Amino acid sequence: MRGSVTVARREIAAYFNSPVAYIFIVSFLLTCGVIFFFLERFFAVGQASMRGYFSLMPFVLSVLAPALTMRLWAEERRAGTYELLLTMPFRDGDMVFGKYLASMAVIGVALALSVPVPLLVSLFGRLDPGVILAEYLGAAFMASAAVAIGQAVSGASRNQMSAFMITVLSLLFLSLLSQLTSWVALPAWLASAVNWVSLSYHFVSFSRGVVDTRDLAYFALITAGSLYATARVVTAGRWR
Amino acid sequence: MIEVQSLVKRYGSFEAVRDVSFSVGAGRVVGLLGPNGAGKTTIMKVLTGYHRPSSGSATLAGRDVVADPIGAKALIGYLPEGVPLYLDMSVYEFLSFVVDARNLPQAGRKQAIDRAMEACGLGKVAGVRMERLSKGYRQRVGLAQAIVHDPDILILDEPTTGLDPNQILEIRSLIRSLGAEKTVILSTHILQEVEALCSEVLILNEGRIVAQGSAADIAARMPGEERLDCSVKGATPAAIEALSRVAVIRGVQVLGNTPSERPAVDIEKIRVVADSGHGDEAAEAVFDWAASNGAKLLELRRDRLSMEDIFVRLTREDTVS
Repeated sequence: MRGSVTVARREIAAYFNSPVAYIFIVSFLLTCGVIFFFLERFFAVGQASMRGYFSLMPFVLSVLAPALTMRLWAEERRAGTYELLLTMPFRDGDMVFGKYLASMAVIGVALALSVPVPLLVSLFGRLDPGVILAEYLGAAFMASAAVAIGQAVSGASRNQMSAFMITVLSLLFLSLLSQLTSWVALPAWLASAVNWVSLSYHFVSFSRGVVDTRDLAYFALITAGSLYATARVVTAGRWR
Repeated sequence: MIEVQSLVKRYGSFEAVRDVSFSVGAGRVVGLLGPNGAGKTTIMKVLTGYHRPSSGSATLAGRDVVADPIGAKALIGYLPEGVPLYLDMSVYEFLSFVVDARNLPQAGRKQAIDRAMEACGLGKVAGVRMERLSKGYRQRVGLAQAIVHDPDILILDEPTTGLDPNQILEIRSLIRSLGAEKTVILSTHILQEVEALCSEVLILNEGRIVAQGSAADIAARMPGEERLDCSVKGATPAAIEALSRVAVIRGVQVLGNTPSERPAVDIEKIRVVADSGHGDEAAEAVFDWAASNGAKLLELRRDRLSMEDIFVRLTREDTVS
């Protein structure tokens, strides 16, 4: 755990020493804001609800989270600092978890900076704080899964750009899967299996303000599985 | 301190290191020498736990690099080839990260960083982002991060490449002073470096150790010849002919003659070649010969095998049979 904190601090420094973190935060706030106020037409709808703000969160994160995770390992490999890091007395898991914490910290800052939006909305009517909390919780869990998948892809990539592209594609695929079930008539068991795998399917109840432990478990499972895969990939014989 | 037993490292079908065994005692400075691709860097990568040996073992102070990687890594300070650094950080930030990673006691961290920066001459650039530093300074930062936690073992992969001559001298004297109390393994293809720094040399070629020991030991065991370069005054061609018939002397070459101020007496430069191990007898024979032929010996120089000669002979394609 001590090692994770050390690695996380180094990664957070790297995020904020470069424009990456700022670009991410600004893009995130802008995208969510544009979706909320223009696409979902908050003012026209006339409802004091944040649902529009979070409705497209799986897609926003599918495109933006990879920008945070693409460099995590691919850049270490390019710069050769991989060797420096791997010869420090860290456990494999500490390095992977530290990098995960760092990406989550940047996302945490972005989510925190979006708090003025619900405060603004509450001027127009009564907001249910429970619903808002559920929506933020869902966004954080969704982000956790996205970041963990992104790190695993970066761990297996030689350069940042391919890590970015592959992560975007995988996340969009996982988000769009649930659409499939509404377009094509699938046997019930297959439809539920497809839905179960889909990221956006598990986000839907959060965006309605419902916290379902099955959804929490899904995101936690994806996160843990991806982090484990990263640890295996990063230290596997392939790169040594 | 360092024990390597029948180490083999394969990359796919390529054998980078083939059955290498050696041990290094505490407080020694050992040079790994060899042409590119000889396996120097691979051995270092195995010792630092970065690459896993394909077979064989390596232990550092009794800690196996595979079974106890974290324990082994904790003993080492490592300067990888090419000096990778987190260039977005300042020197001080980076060293703070290393000190955290090495888990030094909280109280001693600042002193440790200051000591390492002092030793590597980094005081003036502590706050500079490393992407702005010259190659020489980056090399020093690399060295500083390797020594900041005062490790027992230092592994330095080509520590002086890319430095200017003054910096090379500085870094060498730093390594020499570190070598007084630590075990140092360094790789290089600069031969003077080995002569200047190392108490012991491992010469590698194509993944195998081809010679091992101090430079003098290796030279003594080399098959070959001893050469004596002499300047003689007043030696007649007949006398030189006579010298070549002396028992221990294999041959005499005339390298040239320098006219002296007195034109009657020339100074001949000759090279006397003897079988290896017979240098002393040959030198005595030359002296006696000069005395009995009325020639004056102005200069007699034993041409010892330099590290260059040894290296070239051991690592050439047509290695001495």
